[in-house]
Amino acid sequence: MSDGDILVARGLNVAYGESKVLFDAHLSVRPGQLVTCVGRNGAGKSTLLKTIAGFLKPTSGSVTFNNANLIGLMSYDIARMGLKYIPQDKKVFSDLTVRENLELGSYATKDYNWTPVTDYFPRLKSLMDRKAGYLSGGERQMLMIGRAILGSPKVLLIDEPTEGLAPSIVAHLKDVLKELSKKSALVIVEQNLPLVCAISEKIYAIKEGRVVAEITDPASIKAGVCEKFL
Amino acid sequence: MRKAFAWWWDILLAFSLLAVLRIVAPLPFANEILIFSIYTMGCNFLLGRVGFISFGQPAYLAVGAYGTAFYLYYFGQNPYVGLLLGLVAGLVVSAIVGPFFVRLRSDYFALVNLALAVIVFYLMEKVLASITHGDNGLWFLANMSSTPVVNITTPSGFFIFAFLVTMAVWVFYKYLDDSIYGACCLATKINEDKLQFLGYSNFNIRWLAFVIANTTTALAGSLYAVYFGFVSPEISSPARAADPVVVTILGGVGTLYGPIVGAIAYTGMKDLVSGVIVNWELLVGFLLVFIMLAGEKGIWGSAQPLLTKALFPKRLLQDRGDGRS
Repeated sequence: MSDGDILVARGLNVAYGESKVLFDAHLSVRPGQLVTCVGRNGAGKSTLLKTIAGFLKPTSGSVTFNNANLIGLMSYDIARMGLKYIPQDKKVFSDLTVRENLELGSYATKDYNWTPVTDYFPRLKSLMDRKAGYLSGGERQMLMIGRAILGSPKVLLIDEPTEGLAPSIVAHLKDVLKELSKKSALVIVEQNLPLVCAISEKIYAIKEGRVVAEITDPASIKAGVCEKFL
Repeated sequence: MRKAFAWWWDILLAFSLLAVLRIVAPLPFANEILIFSIYTMGCNFLLGRVGFISFGQPAYLAVGAYGTAFYLYYFGQNPYVGLLLGLVAGLVVSAIVGPFFVRLRSDYFALVNLALAVIVFYLMEKVLASITHGDNGLWFLANMSSTPVVNITTPSGFFIFAFLVTMAVWVFYKYLDDSIYGACCLATKINEDKLQFLGYSNFNIRWLAFVIANTTTALAGSLYAVYFGFVSPEISSPARAADPVVVTILGGVGTLYGPIVGAIAYTGMKDLVSGVIVNWELLVGFLLVFIMLAGEKGIWGSAQPLLTKALFPKRLLQDRGDGRS
């Protein structure tokens, strides 16, 4: 952790009722950095993101974003500060059109310039008047990311962006994520290790609720190295 | 251009639907439908857009009706002022109870509103009987002064006024449906967590929707008071708590025309079928069971795709994504 970090989580302990899920978890992200969290199912990766996004309240620990304490803030306040969370389930607002989904993102951030969205995802241009409920999984993910990048958030938390998607869409998303990280810091939870190793600048390996490794050396960011910690 | 045409077409259709009513239906029947349409529009917005089912709408109807009635019985004669006061009463009451009620979801929200209807009913019938005259109600038809241009104290004048108000309320809800706020309401119904991640407060969205819907209901109550020149606690009877919900489902939940169509069907059954069948509510019950089994779309919800297919086939294909490349 350094002074230049935009997002810092320290000593996070989180429990679902009596069941403790995170144990002294930590994470730090510099502006424009692409960080991934890897781990098996149930390791606590998504819980870490949800806690940072304000959806879950930790029993102890701290989260600071741009030197502001996030603990106790509502998730919508955190989103307004420029820290957006894209959940794992690809549930969009199915009764709204693609255009209306994007308008929701625009109105909240007062950013009505959709050019970056359609540049990253040209496919969305032809889908503007379609109900989001009729989109494919890949198109939904494009919409969710496109909606979240409106307002140029400083940090994007993305939970399993490639889960269940076709290889061609995963390849496209990989390029998009790399491009996005030039403008916003990204924290991605992902199980696709080849993808993780191809795009990450830093990897946190999480096992049974604990951060067991923090890999920052580019030479060590390899699928074989990550696997050791899982 | 096509969007603007569709917008005006929708308004023309609603306008025609209500205007035809005046030609084919007896005046009292038409007036009752107009009032019931407004009553249902509030419930339809809550249920269809925000996902709140409320069995307490008679409470807000009574607030509007008594707001108007107190003024016209005790203080003044101008029905327009009475209507305005009824509207304000609904706005104030829903703004006050809203923050407490909108924190609740589903069945708890429905029940807390029903409890409010019970409270209002007993307040008007027993607790405040000295000023509400209890079951005898307040009679003020003779107190109302006639109004210039359109005299709303006469049934025909009232129809013109209520018709314009109904159209205004309908256009307002159409505007809301097409607005970002309408999208927010639908989004909070579909997935409240996701909306928060975009930076919206679900609480604020629901509170505003609650106030808008129940102020509309209070407006219906005010119109009821002016039209009949009489208000009794029966208006807030919990026994009639399901009426607006039934009409909303009958017409088609979440559809703009649903409240008008539902009000016509429900009032029609009540007024016409009750002449033939004594227990007409039984017919409504069977009709609702049929509608639920047929897909919960209601009369307009079922008719709309057929009409759209006939008039704007491309619009339907686009919505469904059938024409995907």
